[in-house]
Amino acid sequence: MNIWKISIKNLKSKSFYTFLSIIILALSITLLLGIQQLKSSFKYQMENNLGDIDLVVGAKGSPLQLILASVLHLDNPTGNIKYNEAKKLSKNPLIKSAVPISYGDNYKGYRIVGTTNEFFSFYNAELEKGRLVEKSMEVVIGSNIANQQNLKIGDTFVSSHGLVENTIDVHDDELTVVGILKPTQKVIDRLIITNLQSVWDVHNHEDHDESEHNAHEEDHNENEDTHMHDDHDEDEHEQHDEETHKLEEHHAHEHHDDDKEITSLLIRFRSPAAFLTFPRKVNESSNLQAAIPRYELDRLYQYTSVGFKTITWIAYLILIISGITIFINLYKMIKERAFDLALLRTYGASNFQIIKMVAYEALIVAFTAFALGFILVKTGLYFMLKFTNFGYKQNIIRELEFQDILQIGVLVFIMVTLSVALAIYPILKMNISTILSNEK
Amino acid sequence: MIQTNNLTFKYNNKEHVFSFPEIDLKEEESLLILGNSGIGKTTLLHLLAGLLQPKTGNITINNVNINTLTNSKLDKFRGQNIGLVFQKKHAIQSLSVYENLQARLFFCKKSKQQNTINALLEELNLSNCKNSKVNEISEGQLQRLGIALSVVHNPQVILADEPTSSLDDENCKAVINLLKKQAKKNKANLIVITHDQRIKPFFQNTITL
Repeated sequence: MNIWKISIKNLKSKSFYTFLSIIILALSITLLLGIQQLKSSFKYQMENNLGDIDLVVGAKGSPLQLILASVLHLDNPTGNIKYNEAKKLSKNPLIKSAVPISYGDNYKGYRIVGTTNEFFSFYNAELEKGRLVEKSMEVVIGSNIANQQNLKIGDTFVSSHGLVENTIDVHDDELTVVGILKPTQKVIDRLIITNLQSVWDVHNHEDHDESEHNAHEEDHNENEDTHMHDDHDEDEHEQHDEETHKLEEHHAHEHHDDDKEITSLLIRFRSPAAFLTFPRKVNESSNLQAAIPRYELDRLYQYTSVGFKTITWIAYLILIISGITIFINLYKMIKERAFDLALLRTYGASNFQIIKMVAYEALIVAFTAFALGFILVKTGLYFMLKFTNFGYKQNIIRELEFQDILQIGVLVFIMVTLSVALAIYPILKMNISTILSNEK
Repeated sequence: MIQTNNLTFKYNNKEHVFSFPEIDLKEEESLLILGNSGIGKTTLLHLLAGLLQPKTGNITINNVNINTLTNSKLDKFRGQNIGLVFQKKHAIQSLSVYENLQARLFFCKKSKQQNTINALLEELNLSNCKNSKVNEISEGQLQRLGIALSVVHNPQVILADEPTSSLDDENCKAVINLLKKQAKKNKANLIVITHDQRIKPFFQNTITL
């Protein structure tokens, strides 16, 4: 026999109140832990996805939209920019590297990004199998896609137009998987990467198909195409040489570099000093827009943090309510069991032992609730991820940091201590003689 | 052994001062204190148990003047040397019969005597309900558990407050006999405080308040 045992027996003897206290406290702990986990996962994921991208240059419009589209690959792009202009900009000495990206298509909702092999370096992505893209219509896929769509090296698929999955606007050209990336826990896990040429080829092919049905446009296109063919620059020729005959055909109908468009340019600076001058220069002196991912994401947090804050406050409120519930239950127990407690005092128990008994009851409730809350968060998030499709197609949950758990644990502990401190007042004031003589 | 002298008591919020006759019991002697309600019987019992501090006078149990002990020493002394029997409520509600006796020994730091519990339960005919919760047993069993709780730790003094008032003649007799038997076994003083005249024939020493 010891005080712990008596506390447990006491809790068991009023199991309904114990159950209620545990449930309410567990609920608030679940909310607090859940919020913390979502918040840190959200922030981590966002920041992780930035990779080493210092700046994004794209078409004028909302800078947040530009970042969402070009860095997090969530939103639609603001528009296209001329490839030539982007190339000119890349020559700036402040820039360490500039990677063009271009989209337009998706495969089952996964975005197809036309870019250069330098794109991988932003995410330290490495190949798990296969090789990098060498020619048009070849793709390297992120690990999530490989797993979820069960794609292997050599598999082919057709893309559909736009950034949202659809079966109506499907392209004819087949894309071939030549490489699969190792998981990075970054956005690249859910991207299909190809070269810029593939994106241009697919869309110019479409233009051509359409033009066959439209005499007026055909003329216009033909004119452009002829003009363009003469002016191919060296770089493009090299690439073209490697491509198949069929693809060469497409190139005959292709726009010249002057007319080629990309979605945006991802830039890494040589030194942080460039942040001060370069973005401003771009925004003021050209019709391009420069947006700093880190800055835009901070703004995004400010928008989303209102929601997080609200839920956090609700969780705190429930925590306070559960604190009051625990206090009321302890207080009630002390009042109702006054005779039992007085009896224990006649057995030789000290005031301190009686207080310990009450405190242990509260601690058992708190600990059980904490464990329950922890389990609820884990299973809750697991099922949430399993049954909801964020439209984000990425596992965003991160393990809770010990620091976060400790913080909430300390908070719960303080609250329980406070409840106990308030509830034991009658014990300190207890008049054993009066209680015992009021037995009848 | 228990002695009192010049014992008076006054409640804080009341004018009336209770004064009590001298008590002087040798080893194993027992005493019946009779008196009507409101005359200060329970007050005297609580003074003897050290639950109340007298206005004047002092109480000596086994040569220890309990009125000079500090609160924590008094708690310990009471736990180890005094056994209290009540009228109706006897035990901790959330514990079983056996656990109540365990708790009694735990709090007076005599847990080593746990092996005596079963024999005591046998003796008081409580073995068959030793794992029952206190609120599941009959009134007679509860009364016997009260006696068990007052003697399980081998006290020097057993103080019983109206132990028989709610019992019929048969049980009244049984309870008094059990109390006397247990007191004798423990070589303890037994002091019974009651207004129940039925008990009178069982005691040689009687004080009427």
